[in-house]
Amino acid sequence: MSQPPVPTTQASTTEAPAGVAPATPASSDAPVVPAPADAPPVKQTERPHPLTPFIRGWLVLVAVVVGFAPRLVDNPDERASLARLGLGWILLGVLVLCLAAAAAGYVSWRFTRFVIDDEELRIETGVLFKTSRKVAFERIQSVDIIQPFAARLFGLGELRIEAGAGDSGLRLRYLSRTKAARLRDYLLARAHGSSARLADSEDALAPDVLFDAGVADTTLVTVSPQALVGSFLTSTEFLVPLLVTVFFAVLAGVTGIGVVALGGIVPMVFGVFSLVSRRVIAMFHFTLAESSRGLRVTRGLTNLTSQSVPVDRIQGVRLCQPVLWKPFGWWRVDVDIVGYGARDRENNSGEATSVLLPVASPAQVRVALSRVLPGFTVDQIPLQGVPRRARWFRWFDWWTLRYGWDDRAIVTEHGLLVHERHIVPHAKTQSVRIEQGPLQRRLGLADVHVDTPKGPVHAVARQLDAGAARELALTQLDRARAARDAAAVTADPAAETRPESPEERASADAVLAELGTDRDRFLGEGGESQVFALDDERVLRLYRGGAAPGSPVVGQVRELYGFWERARPADGYGVELPLVLDAGTSHGRVWTVDRRFVGGSLSSWLATAPLAGRRAALTSLLDAAEAVARLPLPVPGFARLVGEDAPRSYPTLVELLHAMLEGPTSRSRDHLARDVPDVGRVWDGLFRDLGQRVVAPALVHGDFCAPNVYVSPGPEDNPEGGAPRVTGVGDFSPHTLQADPLMDLTGAVAFLELEPYEGAVADSEWLLGVAVSRHGPEVARWIGVYRRYFAFYFSDTAEVEPRTYAWCLRQLDRV
Amino acid sequence: MDDLFAPPTYAWQRLSPRWVSLRRLTTLLVAPLVLSVPALVVGLAFDLWWLAGILWGLAAVIVVVRWFLVRRTYRSWGYVEREDDLYITSGVLFRSLIAVPYGRMQLVEVASGPLERAFGLATVTLKTASAETDASIPGLDPAEAARLRDRLTELGEAQASGL
Repeated sequence: MSQPPVPTTQASTTEAPAGVAPATPASSDAPVVPAPADAPPVKQTERPHPLTPFIRGWLVLVAVVVGFAPRLVDNPDERASLARLGLGWILLGVLVLCLAAAAAGYVSWRFTRFVIDDEELRIETGVLFKTSRKVAFERIQSVDIIQPFAARLFGLGELRIEAGAGDSGLRLRYLSRTKAARLRDYLLARAHGSSARLADSEDALAPDVLFDAGVADTTLVTVSPQALVGSFLTSTEFLVPLLVTVFFAVLAGVTGIGVVALGGIVPMVFGVFSLVSRRVIAMFHFTLAESSRGLRVTRGLTNLTSQSVPVDRIQGVRLCQPVLWKPFGWWRVDVDIVGYGARDRENNSGEATSVLLPVASPAQVRVALSRVLPGFTVDQIPLQGVPRRARWFRWFDWWTLRYGWDDRAIVTEHGLLVHERHIVPHAKTQSVRIEQGPLQRRLGLADVHVDTPKGPVHAVARQLDAGAARELALTQLDRARAARDAAAVTADPAAETRPESPEERASADAVLAELGTDRDRFLGEGGESQVFALDDERVLRLYRGGAAPGSPVVGQVRELYGFWERARPADGYGVELPLVLDAGTSHGRVWTVDRRFVGGSLSSWLATAPLAGRRAALTSLLDAAEAVARLPLPVPGFARLVGEDAPRSYPTLVELLHAMLEGPTSRSRDHLARDVPDVGRVWDGLFRDLGQRVVAPALVHGDFCAPNVYVSPGPEDNPEGGAPRVTGVGDFSPHTLQADPLMDLTGAVAFLELEPYEGAVADSEWLLGVAVSRHGPEVARWIGVYRRYFAFYFSDTAEVEPRTYAWCLRQLDRV
Repeated sequence: MDDLFAPPTYAWQRLSPRWVSLRRLTTLLVAPLVLSVPALVVGLAFDLWWLAGILWGLAAVIVVVRWFLVRRTYRSWGYVEREDDLYITSGVLFRSLIAVPYGRMQLVEVASGPLERAFGLATVTLKTASAETDASIPGLDPAEAARLRDRLTELGEAQASGL
């Protein structure tokens, strides 16, 4: 991919493969300059910010001072010998140290180069041994920005990219804050699978010295300094060393042996300092925010760390409550994220922490859990206790041992001094173990472990009755499997579109070449066709192989579009409709040249849009469905408009819909009989309900879902300003009917659930609410009826589109 | 065997009988070797041969006890493959039953140390994303181990679900 050369403020040359590129200032991206025709284009890499060596030098100095200080405190002899050396020599030594550190920093900086662009993410480091580390965008788990104290003063930050358990992470020191924020935004977008481009992330708001908030961030929870300090002072991990220290001090005082005190107190004091650093300084001003790119945690007093929380990688949640926090109602929330497992000892250096909330009130915990375990209702899970026999083992806290589950997660509790609650979603269960020691066997007790990857969460149901233990373990496996299956079905949108066979690919390439475009200009695809750009006004639609040459579909659709174009009123229909400019068949493939829609597909836009924008656009989706229902009808009455022997009229709605379902259900009969209990009753119920529907025929798209609909920024006179609205509806197909306009409304609401972005199901429910507020409560009933209709209609996708088929089964279960 | 550790279906598949011999051999060797070191140190360096004698006596007791327990240990190991998961049970004093779903298996290893090879045995280990999943089956016939490995890998791939 090459871009046209853009003049920059500094001349840049193509990098010779073995040479070193000139340093680029951090504020501009050097473009890729196309090389002469006989050499392949070589990427220009960038270096981190030029101030990096100084900051690294400073950090080394700080580390040295911190490292030597305890020794000075401990050893009065060393102190004395240093004093003998004289102040001048000491300062000289320190200066030499700083210079050495700076030199090391400079060398390291000079040999660090990175490339982050639309194609790859790669960092090259190393003086003698050159290392090149590359991370695939999809494997990026989280992107953090850490601003150590010195870097903050200069407006720089470190970009840290975590890539999951198997891959190592990448650290880029140091970039300007703006650039770091921009790259973080871009990388998180790519990590979520959207095909964002680097140039699109210009508008990310840079973190400033104290805070880090993006444009569309909503702060969910902020931990106040009082709560943080108060919770620390009352936490067991502070009080226990404190009590030990006091004990030793008293002991020293009473017995008069000073050594005992020193041996006991000094390590404790340092332990406490390190604890303060971890728990208070590193967590200062802890903020949990929701941004368009997911959850973000910002924390730290001296080192400001901004870390993104990959919600889909969360394996479990642990809630802790030391006994002294009970009066305040505080809880601490940790999450188990794959790859962060070894980081229970979070410290001030900005390591990614597994702490979601260091201290929070129950309301704040609920908010956080609603984001981290969306759709779970963990507070409502009934918990059962363990038999009294358990007091032989845990005489001190056996009554705190509890466990419980619902259909989404399992919860176990234990602990008196520190009450812990471990929550593991069934889908994240790795394996299940029953353990029983010899004494437990005597008493008929056992432990059940629900294993998760390494981290703070260990869900163990302790001291259960043996029968209950076995039942829990075996049913847990069933629940885990069911949850995994459900997750697999909703997880992989790419699995929807069938991959091309080699013959299809070859014929497609031939057609593309013939019509003057190529695969680089691919815009999107659906179940029936692929779309490539021809120019600004036209696209090429290539139907998948299998459209029989004699199929009338293309011609009928073309006629339909032409009819609407001719009947178009002066101010339009409210939505853009497609128009076929040309059609033909080449190399056995049917193709059309269509008018190009303004804007992009709603489906891809939804994946990256923030909540507020999404909801505005979805409201306009309902408007578009209503606009389609107002389109002029080519034939009178209920009819099927596209397909074999179309247009064909039917006297009633029920007969039309029955005829439409004949084809799909004849193909899916066996699957449905196997997967839907009592499918005959569901079928009869559907037609009984449809028989009660009284409505005049209106135009129905029949497949009114986000991939078939186009959004663009509204017109300037739109009161909402530039908020994206649905402006075009395309892909009319054999699904097109003259029938009940509520069918498209159903499509708008129900097919939204199939969209692969997080929050799709919630948006679908919200949209149903909007529809009800517009049209009254009756519409909810008919949407339910047409959900079942569409479930039968799309039920023949069991083999080709398993996700859609699973959706169909869920609709038929709703009866 | 009580109900808690009864197999979920059918019956437990047992290890190869040669494992009993291997286990007996290691019992004869390990405890005496391990305890001989401190015994010799104590005897040669400190001339406390009575203490060395006690240590050797301890080794003998351990050997005898473990010898008689080998049969019972053999009977306590079992595994069964079901449609969606693999169950492994083990342990005499500290019993455990672990169930690993095929979809969660990340790695299947077949290993065979020198003693195991001498007896014609192999150990199959399953790894999941969780470090606490300690699912390994020792003392398997190599053909059975290979069959298990292939079947588990195939099922693991077929049912694999991401993290």
